[in-house]
Amino acid sequence: MKLPLPRFPLAPPSFRGRLHDARTATAIGRWLGVAVAVCFVTGLISHYLQQPGMLADVLPSRPRWGYRVTQGLHVASGITAIPLLLAKLWTVYPRLFVWPPVRSVRHALERVSVAVLVASALFELMSGLLNTAQWYPYAFSFVPVHFAVGWLLIGSVVLHVAVKAPEIRAHWRRRSAGTLALPAEDAVDRRSLLTAVGVAAGAVTVTTVGQSFTPLGGLDLLAPRQPDHGPQGLPINRTAALARVDATTVRDWRLRVDGPRPYELTLAGLRALPQREVTLPIACVEGWSKSAHWTGVRVRDLLDRAGAPPGALIRVTSLEARGGYRVMVMPHTYARDPLTLLALRLNGEVLSLDHGYPARIIAPNRPGVLQTKWVARMEVL
Amino acid sequence: MRGLRISAGALGVALMAAGVWALLFGADAQDPWVVAKWLLGVLVVHDGLVVPLTLAVGFAVSRVPVRGVVRGTLLVAAALTAVAGPVLLRPGPVQNPTVLPLDYDRNWVLLVVLTAGVGVLAGLAVKWRRGDRSSGPGDE
Repeated sequence: MKLPLPRFPLAPPSFRGRLHDARTATAIGRWLGVAVAVCFVTGLISHYLQQPGMLADVLPSRPRWGYRVTQGLHVASGITAIPLLLAKLWTVYPRLFVWPPVRSVRHALERVSVAVLVASALFELMSGLLNTAQWYPYAFSFVPVHFAVGWLLIGSVVLHVAVKAPEIRAHWRRRSAGTLALPAEDAVDRRSLLTAVGVAAGAVTVTTVGQSFTPLGGLDLLAPRQPDHGPQGLPINRTAALARVDATTVRDWRLRVDGPRPYELTLAGLRALPQREVTLPIACVEGWSKSAHWTGVRVRDLLDRAGAPPGALIRVTSLEARGGYRVMVMPHTYARDPLTLLALRLNGEVLSLDHGYPARIIAPNRPGVLQTKWVARMEVL
Repeated sequence: MRGLRISAGALGVALMAAGVWALLFGADAQDPWVVAKWLLGVLVVHDGLVVPLTLAVGFAVSRVPVRGVVRGTLLVAAALTAVAGPVLLRPGPVQNPTVLPLDYDRNWVLLVVLTAGVGVLAGLAVKWRRGDRSSGPGDE
């Protein structure tokens, strides 16, 4: 179906610059596609680890470094994608002014889907990057919107690849038919552009990835965190002051465990129980992570003492007055893992107040926000 | 191939619909108009400002010698600047001293200077190689 062509007083801009071609778009686009796919999958993993819903009973507590790797990849692939996305959009920019603007209903739908693709890609990378710096300039809550627009983005990417499949195939290789039909003299410039885009993607990655991939910590120049910066060798997110926990709050602290055989323990009583030492990372949703040595009592032992059934969900409540993570629910896969501790010591010292003194949870393969600090109560649900 | 394309397209539309559904009815759903304004906003700023500026800079350096290296250097510096944007510009106090603990102004300047330095070296190397080649095989 053809739509009538309107007469427009202004001619659309024309582009004499080179490299706005399908081969360049394909070459950059496939790197970008990989980065977006990794970012989406790792984002989903993070979402369901935090809000398991019906998956609560099947979330694995191993590998112990799982979340550290997936969330490190989520943030790193998002950062890597920034120069890739900007370069890809620069390449295809002239198509914004295609004339006539709409040729058919199908063409109109395709253009709308591309607008959704571009807007959601820019939005996801921007909001994610701002979130790592804890910068929230918008009037909505970050998590549900970043989650929803993530589906919008991956859907429009899949649709875009389906629509463009013949063009992608024709320009997949340097010697593909479509590529060979392009002006041969552009090849040198294209190679230098692709090299520059690759170097840019590498540069932004190695200057930030040290916040989770600690061997590259020395190159961490632009990341919002540096894993070595923090009391007791570990960064923090929520301080005791923010949580309104202070020396008075914890003075007469007792742990209460509710179950078929409820009991209370003082700090001295907890210290008298068998202590275990584990090495587990704190891995934050914002992308930074760091491994540490923790000493404390196995959560499993505390639950057995209360007579908890093995498959029970556990509710852990913090001393903090308010906050979205004051109450945390722990599926049995974590609660029964021998690595999951109610930790009393960090890297050989008694926990500092900012790290959750007198006692905090540390579990394998779990987001940092669920490693509840200042634990006051554990309940068998 | 056609069947595969149609199924992939349908899957894409379904995933997009899931996103719209999550935006409107998902857990803790936010005001969709505010979100729509931001989506449109980033699109307009990108297409109306960021790309035209990039094209203008690209046009300005289109006739310089070793333009590939010049463009590449600008591109790398711009990418580093974009990624550094939030840590450089974030307003307001941080939650605690372990958030944004580094001297980002210094680090950013360092990286841009380093990029420029590598660019100059790469430009000289390309020029030297070209000069070498144009002086011809007769030299050997």
